[in-house]
Amino acid sequence: MSDVVEKTLTALPSLLSLDSQPGSAKLSSNSKLGNLIRGITELTSKHEEEKLIQRELLLIKEQVSSPNTTMKQMKELMVRAIYCEMLGYGVSFSYIHAIKLAQQGNVLEKRVGYLAVSLFLNEGHELLLLLVNTVLKDLQSTNLIEVCMALTVVSQMFPKDMIPAILPLVEEKLNHPKEIIRRKAVLALYKFYLIAPNQVQHIHNKFRKALCDKDPGVMSASLHIYLQLIQENPEGYKDLAPSFVTILTQVVGGKLPMDFNYHSVPAPWLQIHLLRILSLLGKNDQSTSEIMYDILDESLRRAEMNHNITYAILYECVKCIYTIYPKSDLLEKAAKCIGNFVLSAKINLKYLGLKALTYVVQQDPKLALQHQMTIIECLDHPDLIIKRETLELLFRITNDQNVTVIVEKMLDFLRISKDDHTSMDLVGKVAELAEKYPYKCFSVCI
Amino acid sequence: MRRVELCCVNCWRNVRMIKFVLMVNQQGQTRLSKYYEPVELSRRAALEAVAVRCCLSRSKHQCSFVEYKDFKLVYRQYAALYVVVGITHSENELSIYELIQNFVEVLDKYFSRVSELDIMFNLDSVHIILDEMIQNGHIVETNKSRILAPLTAIDKMADG
Repeated sequence: MSDVVEKTLTALPSLLSLDSQPGSAKLSSNSKLGNLIRGITELTSKHEEEKLIQRELLLIKEQVSSPNTTMKQMKELMVRAIYCEMLGYGVSFSYIHAIKLAQQGNVLEKRVGYLAVSLFLNEGHELLLLLVNTVLKDLQSTNLIEVCMALTVVSQMFPKDMIPAILPLVEEKLNHPKEIIRRKAVLALYKFYLIAPNQVQHIHNKFRKALCDKDPGVMSASLHIYLQLIQENPEGYKDLAPSFVTILTQVVGGKLPMDFNYHSVPAPWLQIHLLRILSLLGKNDQSTSEIMYDILDESLRRAEMNHNITYAILYECVKCIYTIYPKSDLLEKAAKCIGNFVLSAKINLKYLGLKALTYVVQQDPKLALQHQMTIIECLDHPDLIIKRETLELLFRITNDQNVTVIVEKMLDFLRISKDDHTSMDLVGKVAELAEKYPYKCFSVCI
Repeated sequence: MRRVELCCVNCWRNVRMIKFVLMVNQQGQTRLSKYYEPVELSRRAALEAVAVRCCLSRSKHQCSFVEYKDFKLVYRQYAALYVVVGITHSENELSIYELIQNFVEVLDKYFSRVSELDIMFNLDSVHIILDEMIQNGHIVETNKSRILAPLTAIDKMADG
């Protein structure tokens, strides 16, 4: 038996005697889940696993249908069912009981019921309709935890046709004194917008209110909706550009509470989100882009720490600078940034640098030229992923002079590629190049 | 969209989302799986097996992003456990790489130094935590206290 499995088994007895502390492995000696897992871990073959799970499924099936099963037991049964389905064994007989658990259980049992439903069912499932009444009831509960749960489940899956029934209740939550409720209500509305946009047309002013919410979490949640809306119709939201710039300025300037920091970087994923929104708004629009230049410059400056997350922000920043209306000194700084990535010894950064180069190279072919030695080195890099990304880049800068070499390198890669999808994509590219430069490619392809 | 992205054969490149989150150990045993788009049960085992093989075959000197079929895998190793996140091409790989770290730090906070066993025996709690962070394939919360608040409140009520 392997080391890992041995360690698992030897650790089990000590875990069984642990005091129950919040968060630590809660195992009681009569935990059926514990027994199941221990049972699986002891097995050595797939066939034996199948036998054990089939036995377990029969047991679960019997117990969920029994009228004597308490909600507490049902909760445990659901977790075992989730576990079995995770291993690939269908537990459709327990779906209805998951819904019942969400309906009838206490707070913890209800949460597990909702969890099971979100894992077992999918968007169009007929059983989902049965959940609607439970969700409606929980949305009106005086217990805020239950309201949160209901909003979470609504954001994950909800039958499109029942949106009118629930919409007023969710809208009402937008004014709730607790930020978590407001935040989850916004996310629920985002879900509604994704599955039935015409149903939420009338409440766009409420999205604006969420954007201006004093709580950064609620404001963050509204950005999901805005990113979607702006992708579909950037013209309609240019007037919000100053607001997004102001928000990003405040975030970068460290105005958010400390717990929004990740390794001393203020709300990095929020920064990335805002940068994406600004890209969409500033594209091909000089006046809108002009209000962004300062904060983009500041972001480039601030993100100088040596941490992956600051590099991730820098990447988005650079993309934004190259997408919006060009400003030469910003472009210069962004180009330098890309250069640093491509030249980095850290392989993840090199990859990001190549990806950024691929993105900007049509706008700035000189940049690729500047780094051509590094690009050539990357062509022979031992990591196939780097090689592949380099070929992607080269495809974009093909011209009369270099097409022969580039097609040769692509054919070399095709000989060693084991991934069908990559091969197909490359073959497509070679074909495209052959069509564009027929005389040059003829000799290579024979 | 930019000409660069439209150059690609499929238009899926314009969609940005997280497709799934997996926690798999070196033996290929799935400890957690969460899918943000419908994937048939029968296809999941194969997907998870390939995903872990992909990651296991990579060395420390190779990058943490792997192309797989028409999307990408971002993976990170913690002792014997791999966290693998499937993303579309236009997602920011490094930001997801750090999201994985944030997720593990949240688990560390909740379980006081999380281990593979914690995840195995508290599958429901780990799912609840993940639900707070990612919904519909998008990152919805990254503030650790806010991620843990609902679960902590439930625990308190359950303990009575």
